[in-house]
Amino acid sequence: MKRSLTTLTVTSVVAAATLALAGCSGSSPTADASDGATETVAPVTLTMWGTYGNGGNTAQTDVLNQTLIPSFEASHPGITVDYVDIPYADLKQKLTTGAAADELPDLVRSDIGWVAQFASLGVLAPLDQEMDDFSTYADATYPGSLATNAWDGHHYGLPLDTNTRVLVTSQAALDAAGLSEPPATFDDLQAMATALAGKDIATFADSGLQGWNILPWIWSGGGEITDADLTTSTGYLDGAESVAAVQMLVDLYTQGAIPNLITGNSGATSTSDGLPAGQYATILDGPWMRDIWAGQYPEFAPIYAPVPAGPGGSISVVGGENIVIPATTEHMDAATEFVRFTQSEEFQLAMATVGQMPVVESAGTKAADADPFYAPFATQLATAKPRLVIPQSSEVDSILSTELTPAFEGTTTVQAALTSAAKQIDALLTSN
Amino acid sequence: MIDSTRPVAVRAAEHPSAARTARRRRLAGRATPYLFLAPALVLFVGLIVYPMIRAFQMSFYDWKVLAGATSTFIGFDNYARAMGDPVFWRGLANSGVYMALSVPPQVVLGLLIAMLLKSKSPSQPVYRVLFYLPVVTSWVVVSLLFKYLFADQGLINWALADVLHLGDGSTSWLSSRWTALIAISALGIWKGIGWSMMIFLAALQGVPESLEEAALMDGANRWQRFRVVTVPAIRPALAFVIVMLVIGGFNVFTSVLLMTGGGPGGQTEVLLTYMYRQAFTNLDFGYGSAIAVLLTMIVLVLSLAQMRIFHGTGQEEG
Amino acid sequence: MRSRDRTRTSSVVARHALLSVGALIMLTPFVYMVSTSLKSQAYVLTIPPQFIPNPATIGNYVQVLTTQNFVTYFMNSVVVSTTATGISVLISSMMAYAFARFRFPGRELLFRLVLVGLMVPAMMLIIPQFILAKQLSLIDSLQGLVIFYVAASISLNTFLLRGFFASIPRELDDAMQVDGANAWTRYWRLVMPLSTPALATTTIFTFLATWDEFAWALTIINDPAKRTLPLAIQLFQGQNATQWGLVFAASVIAVLPVIVVFLIFQKYFVQGLTTGAVKG
Repeated sequence: MKRSLTTLTVTSVVAAATLALAGCSGSSPTADASDGATETVAPVTLTMWGTYGNGGNTAQTDVLNQTLIPSFEASHPGITVDYVDIPYADLKQKLTTGAAADELPDLVRSDIGWVAQFASLGVLAPLDQEMDDFSTYADATYPGSLATNAWDGHHYGLPLDTNTRVLVTSQAALDAAGLSEPPATFDDLQAMATALAGKDIATFADSGLQGWNILPWIWSGGGEITDADLTTSTGYLDGAESVAAVQMLVDLYTQGAIPNLITGNSGATSTSDGLPAGQYATILDGPWMRDIWAGQYPEFAPIYAPVPAGPGGSISVVGGENIVIPATTEHMDAATEFVRFTQSEEFQLAMATVGQMPVVESAGTKAADADPFYAPFATQLATAKPRLVIPQSSEVDSILSTELTPAFEGTTTVQAALTSAAKQIDALLTSN
Repeated sequence: MIDSTRPVAVRAAEHPSAARTARRRRLAGRATPYLFLAPALVLFVGLIVYPMIRAFQMSFYDWKVLAGATSTFIGFDNYARAMGDPVFWRGLANSGVYMALSVPPQVVLGLLIAMLLKSKSPSQPVYRVLFYLPVVTSWVVVSLLFKYLFADQGLINWALADVLHLGDGSTSWLSSRWTALIAISALGIWKGIGWSMMIFLAALQGVPESLEEAALMDGANRWQRFRVVTVPAIRPALAFVIVMLVIGGFNVFTSVLLMTGGGPGGQTEVLLTYMYRQAFTNLDFGYGSAIAVLLTMIVLVLSLAQMRIFHGTGQEEG
Repeated sequence: MRSRDRTRTSSVVARHALLSVGALIMLTPFVYMVSTSLKSQAYVLTIPPQFIPNPATIGNYVQVLTTQNFVTYFMNSVVVSTTATGISVLISSMMAYAFARFRFPGRELLFRLVLVGLMVPAMMLIIPQFILAKQLSLIDSLQGLVIFYVAASISLNTFLLRGFFASIPRELDDAMQVDGANAWTRYWRLVMPLSTPALATTTIFTFLATWDEFAWALTIINDPAKRTLPLAIQLFQGQNATQWGLVFAASVIAVLPVIVVFLIFQKYFVQGLTTGAVKG
């Protein structure tokens, strides 16, 4: 024992000494001391944090690292781009600690919901001021996606990729309900529920009551969350149309046509398993599911259709990522060059081949032509809206979820729940 | 060689060089404890205590994340907010319930298994590894596994209905607060037994066999021997395990995050998940720090109380 | 005599039965983890659960080992964990010895401070620690990981070891002191050898904690070449889809060194040497 203790001690001391000697520099890759004022004089390395690494599926990172970045570097001599993959669930945490210690990269592929929050804290650079030709790019992209970059009169990023939710169903489900087509309106959905009553298949399933889940229904019902200027929610979120839309879902829930997965039962079957397995008839989901279902349920042939239309039309919710530049970057010109590159057709179409829907309308049309799979999503995107673009968007999600759960479970009315939620959202809006 | 029967001072007077050595040894003697403390203390104070103070300081501000931004001092506002926040109280209650459900079984079962595994027979190491396996498996993996075990159509319901014939296996464990807390506690117990087992294994080595044999010869049965010989001998370990498990219970985080996400509707939110949400989702570090400080204080008070109960092992000077 | 033999045999049988049931419960989720790691994506996490993979494939292991420098990440973790464990056990035991054997002003207060270190949620210290690491130029380095891991483990190790050291009778120390041994000798040649069970426990725990640590590694490591294993495993969880077979395979690979460390050190739990020294 004495010998192994001594050995352990000696080993660790030697190892520590080796480490100390080997890595005394410990430099951070973002600081480039040799950077001058002009953009292409001194060689510049841009660091980009992103979440393109899709688990073990390297398709997206391969396109980025093997095709797109080399192409950019070839056309911009003197600029190298270093892409660093961060686990998707942890990127926000890493951005937060990075902002606190001034250790941020030059470019970030940010979730659309974070831009307003980080912009309001001063973490991001306003691209409409850093780029003279900003409006060219702004005009070329989807308005709903662009709107997620807005804060306090400026735009702090540009859309990088987008997606939305559409109705997904299966032939088996349609047959069970005796329908020849997916339900196209609220009434169709309710009729489907009646047809499926007593059968072992739920009409509709979703996994929560946050904005991502409930807003397509509210908007399609003709309701709104707030007024156009983001000053008040009361009167909109708890307006008659919003209440009616949510009431429809609550009625379906009470009938048993919607499983309690929607009120947060993590023990219930997920939507991605329940639809192919025949437990659920319809769900709302996005273009990423194609590859997942192809791998897990190769026999399954999903049918994509627009979100059922209510009095407000068929309106879905915008998702996706934006490209942003932290304000602390020391290579603003080079970084904006890369941002321009991401808006090019070359970039957008290349990424489209690996499941990233283009944000530039012209590229979007081309992609939909090349791969008809994207057509329903592109159509839905034309009218899709973003969730509230305020710094406290995550709190809005908690408010919606917390207030609506009792409404579904029957302990309170939909009107009361939405009024209470609206009041809390008012408080957030007035503090902005 | 050294005649230790005569007082040091007398010896010093007779041998001046010895006097210098003696004084040097006395001074060195006084410095000795500090020399032993120094390496760990420097690291601890610099890298743990100082950040603790800074985090404590954060709780009195409306703290802005961006480096170099000025934060507004708001005094005890964050603490007042916590006092009036129903989610805070619910989180505290849930953390407490989790601790109450998961700690006693870990102590009792850990000790029981350690007692069964303390001999030197060859099958023991095999069992020890098996009981230790849950401890080393990552929280992410086991939380996911337990989530599937307790799913509506998972293994637990199937076992209850088809194997043990207890009920109809239709419990929706994760859809309501108390059953979900039971499921999460089950994970905590399963994962923690091997840990306390190991501490007790080490402690049981110090139980004097002579006392055990004497008690046996006096006719004491197994329970009496346990109570009179074993428990007092492993008292420091018992204190340690209970204090640590209580701390760990209140600090439960990953399993809740991954099994229920604090749901449904925030019903299984615990203090740390709430703190994490405030700090890293809402980016309100002032409030997050306040919650952390309150949690630390609660745990500190509980731990000091427990240690006072276990104080008096008779081994250390007061 | 005879009835005592029969009781002993039946108690041995009962003991084995109890242990076997317990071991089975402990083992089942782990078996499921290994079994899932041998399934291709299509078959993971079905309901009802499938324990025997059919068809079984080692494709997940192949993919994990050939992906993106997994071996580098593994070696980084090995270096960081062994170094941190060695340093931590050494300096924590020194600190524990000071608390257990000496009286000095501020001893109790200092010990309580060490205990408070156990109770503070580590998540809240991350930002002050990160700023500190930046000031010390430890960002994006393995040294940064080691130093902070050592600091974080001091509280637990000192608390654990002090209890064990204090239960070693002082008479042994005094005997050595009379023979002219200084404090270091007493520490190194008396107390440490007598505490091998506790030291083994400390080593195993510290190794495990540093091996599995994720949040700090995520925070300070940017360079992919310096990633440690938990970060690499987390990267197998994708934005829209997680290939759980890969995650589980990577986790099985990651768990092996910890089990090895356990097997090496667990024989010190059963020492049998203390019985000679501890005489009334």
